[in-house]
Order: sequence, then C-alpha cells, then structure tokens
Amino acid sequence: MKKIFALAAAAAIIATAMPATAADLVFSSWGGTTQDAQKIAWAEKFTEQTGINVLQDGPTDYGKLKAMVEANAVTWDVVDVEGDYAAQAGKNGLLEKLDFSVIDKSKLDPRFVTDYSVGSFYYSFVIGCNKDAVEACPKSWADLFDIEKFPGKRAFYKWSAPGVIEAALLADGVPADKLYPLDLDRAFKKLDTIKPEIIWWTGGAQSQQLLASAEAPFGSLWNGRMTALAQSGINVETSWEQNITAADSLVVPKGAKNKEAAMQFIALATSPQAQADLAKATGYAPINLDSPKVMDPELAKTLPDAQTASQVNADMSYWAENRDAIGERWYAWQAE
Amino acid sequence: MLSRTDARAPGSKAPAYRLRLTDFDLTLPALGLLVLFFVVPVAILLARSVSEPVPGLGNYAELLGSSTYLRIFANTFIVSGLVTLVSLLIGFPVAWALAIMPSRLASVVFAILLLSMWTNLLARTYAWMVLLQRTGVINKMLIALGLIDKPLPLVNNLTGVTIGMTYIMLPFIILPLYGVIRKIDPAILQAAALCGANRWQALVRVLLPLAMPGMAAGALMVFVMSLGYFVTPALLGGTANMMLAELIAQFVQSLVNWGMGGAAALVLLVVTLALYAVQLRFFGTDRMGGR
Repeated sequence: MKKIFALAAAAAIIATAMPATAADLVFSSWGGTTQDAQKIAWAEKFTEQTGINVLQDGPTDYGKLKAMVEANAVTWDVVDVEGDYAAQAGKNGLLEKLDFSVIDKSKLDPRFVTDYSVGSFYYSFVIGCNKDAVEACPKSWADLFDIEKFPGKRAFYKWSAPGVIEAALLADGVPADKLYPLDLDRAFKKLDTIKPEIIWWTGGAQSQQLLASAEAPFGSLWNGRMTALAQSGINVETSWEQNITAADSLVVPKGAKNKEAAMQFIALATSPQAQADLAKATGYAPINLDSPKVMDPELAKTLPDAQTASQVNADMSYWAENRDAIGERWYAWQAE
Repeated sequence: MLSRTDARAPGSKAPAYRLRLTDFDLTLPALGLLVLFFVVPVAILLARSVSEPVPGLGNYAELLGSSTYLRIFANTFIVSGLVTLVSLLIGFPVAWALAIMPSRLASVVFAILLLSMWTNLLARTYAWMVLLQRTGVINKMLIALGLIDKPLPLVNNLTGVTIGMTYIMLPFIILPLYGVIRKIDPAILQAAALCGANRWQALVRVLLPLAMPGMAAGALMVFVMSLGYFVTPALLGGTANMMLAELIAQFVQSLVNWGMGGAAALVLLVVTLALYAVQLRFFGTDRMGGR
C-alpha cells in the first residue's frame, strides 16, 4: 500500500501537516498500526523526557526524501526506512552520520547497525496460512512454491526488497548459507513456476485482507501481521521454517533541521524499554539485545527472536550494493 | 466584462487588441501560479531525463529499446482503449435514456452520477476489490445461484482494471453525450420513422451520426484520462497489466531513478498532448463541458 498511499495521502499531508517550528521534531514512518505504536512507544515518551514536541508525518517516500535533501529543504528529522535502502542511501550521501556518543550502539543488534542507520525493529517473512480455507497448510518455502501439492493463490510482497527472491532460492533447494550472492536467474526461473498463482500485496493491511478473505489462502507475510490476524480471531497458522529476517532502519536525512534532537530521539527509540514496548504493540522484534529481559516471557516467545533455529538473515549490505539492478529486473519480470 | 462594454462604447479610442490584452492580464496570477508550481517542476523532471545518470538520450534508448517497457506502453493503450469502448457502450444508452426521461427522474439519475464522482477514488476502488474478489459478493452470488462452480477471476487482472476504470470514467462520457443528444430534435426520429425506417435504422443511421461529435469528444477525453491513470490499475490489476503511470511511480519512488522516470513521463506527456491537439482540432473546447 505504501506507494499508493504515498500519492493519495500526499494531498492530505500537505493540507493537515502543521508547519514544524524549530523546536519540533518531525518523524516519518509508514503509517498504519506500526506508526501508531511508534508514536506511543517512542514519540510520547520522548516529549515527556525532553519537552520536544514530535510531529508525525508519512508515509515515507524515498523520492520525497531525495528531493528534500537535494533542495536542502529537509522537513523530516528522523525517518523509518527499509534496511537495504538505508545502507544504500548512506553510501549515496543522502543521510547524516549517526552520533554514537548519543546513541548507545553497544547493545544494538549489530546486523542492523551502519554508520548512517540503526535498526528500527526487525521482522521475519513467514509462511502464513488461513486454516479454514484449505485442507493443508504449506510448511516450507518449497511447499509454498509447489502449486500441485498446494493449489490456490499465494500472496507475496510486491516491491523489490529482501524476502521473495531469497524464498524462491530456498524453495529451489539452495542452502541458506549459500544464498548470497543471489542467483537471480535461478530465482526468477523458480518464481516463473508459480507466477500466475501469485497475488502481490503492496502493504501489510492488504496482506491480512488477502489471507483473511482467503482470496489468497496462504503466502509470505510479515510475522507481525500474522500475530495481529491470530489476535483478531482468524484461524491462521504461521510456519517459521526458514523465516527470513529483514529490518526497518532509523535514519536522519542530510541537512535535517533538528539533528541533535534527532540523535536523542533515536537513542530513546532504540533503548531497551522503548524497543520492548514497540515489540509488544506490533509483534515485530526488538533490535536492542537487552529488550527481551524487560519483556513478558510469553510474549517474547512469539517474536522472531525465538525462531532462530532455521532463521535466514537477508544480507542488507548485498542488497544495498545491488538494490537498483535487482529492482529493475524485478519490476521488468513482474510486468512480463 | 465592464472594460469590454466600455471599449465598445462609441467614441472609445481603445483599439480592439488592447481589449484582449486587458482580459488576458486578469489570468496572469493564475498563469504565474501554474508556471511556478506546475510547468517549472515538470520541466526540471524532464531535464533530468536527458542529464541523469549521464547526459544524453540513454534513458530514452533504454525505455524504447526494452520489450518490457514497450509492453507497458502497449498495455497502457490497450487498457485505455478497452475502457473507452466499454464506457461508450454503457454510456450511450444511459445518456440517451437521460435525455428522454422525465426531468425529475433525470435529476435523480444525475445526482447518482455526480455523487459517485464526488466519492473518494480510493474508497470506490476498494469497494470494487471487495465486490470482485474470488470470495467477493459477485462470485459468491453466482456460485449460490449455481451459475458457476469455481470463482471467476475478476480482479488482479485486465477484467478488474477495465471494470474499475470504466466505472470511474462513465460520467465523463455520459455528460458530454447527454449534452449532444439533448440537442437532437426528437422530430427527426419521428421523421425517420415516417419515412419507413425501423428502430434499428433510426438508431444507426440517424441518432448515432448526430450524436457522433459528443461520442468522439467523450471518448477522447476518457482515453486521454485513462492513459495517465494510477490508483485503479495499481489496485485492481495484476503486475502483468501495469500501466505507464505505475511505471513512472516505480521509477520515481521505489527505484529513485529520476532519469528514467522523467523519460517515461515525457513519453506520456507527448502522447497526451498529441491527442489533446487532435481533440482541439476537431471538436474545439466548447463540447468538453457537455452543456
């Protein structure tokens, strides 16, 4: 949904966004329940502690971010972006270096830390299934790519990002430790075998809708969305086999007006309690290694943290390097 | 208007051309706004299409040399054409009925038409999604009636895009057509009948030719609007039915490749302007409002 909302909501944002005064901090994220949770777990705490007002904006739009930086008219101070984009944008000079004298990175999950970004939260692509709609649920990526054993539509993430290509290669039998560099030819060949049966979801809400309505009774979803579906009483099953992790990152655009406050905000957002609170509200995993200690153990069990046995980590630095090339090929393949 | 009256008054020394200039002056603030906030940004984006990543026409070569992108161009035209055709097939009878029905009833139908135009586009598109999906109302009803065993694939494909876009475009074809049909003297149809034409002949040889200007104007407008459509194809179509506007959004937002985005935008702009020129040449601007 993010792209569509980017357009549709742009007008609404322009109309409603209050002009930020110098003392206000502007935080941009992807909207929906995740941003609501970020507001409560991070922004409100931050205002309590520092007296700095946090204005919520969004959805995050990479085109907009680039335009702001180029025009030197940056209105966002802290932005929630996808991890692979963060790594790339840092290299392309669109981001400020983070101040690690303010942000304590010693306790942050090193998988998601770069000079320009720290994790915001992390999630796994898992195999979700609506148990009421099918006789048997796919357990592995190989199952999800097997349209004879598991006939029906399957939902996959539409945008070029870590997750689907990895799933295709795992389904095709590539060992998890041999995934990178990605064999794109092999991945697309595997994807071709299920292409007519794929329904692409553009945002979390749509993935839930597809699964709940059984429009696509199974698919690859973000784990937090499966947690939410289960909580809403829908009879779903989540398979964590070879769950593929990816992260959102927090970044500060180059030329942000409130750089210092932005660093303080990130410091708070990545602190153990703030990360634990966000995880509780969203079902995504904390990127602070101390967070699980302050969480309800029952809840901690439902997070990707507890599913490391067969977990596969998407390689963000590989993606940052190859994001453009993969993206072009991805969209061209989709349009074929 | 005052200045015009004054100028025409006897003894006025203001020559006629000054008049026009005065009228034109009044539009300058609006034009300035348009240039500043629309023409300039578009020009900058287009300039990037020949300057990024390296100066030259490389972006255009890539755009027009790739079978994938050409397929997206072709698809944009096919979808727009299909939507125009279906809109005409549905819109003509509706416009005709509107023109001949009692005016109180007609105003109710107009209200329905306009109300749908005023409803949020996203909301309307989602509504179609809910109606058309495999587990949606339409499929469930058809299965319950025993007409089909398996749900029909009505969404995430060309069918979904065509239905969703036709629904949105219908008012734009009905309104101009209604204007034209209203002006046709019913006596002409009576005359045709008196001369021995049956109903079919009266329709094909009398009414349709007379309504042709309205049909052509409406069809062209729908076609041009469809070319640049984004939300509906993105939500109701599959990736295999991608249209040009989606490709541009992908370049600008996701791939952050503004050179290619600008190139694709220019192609769309040129095609649209060319069609608009055709429209101006053959129909003028006065029929567009569908009075």
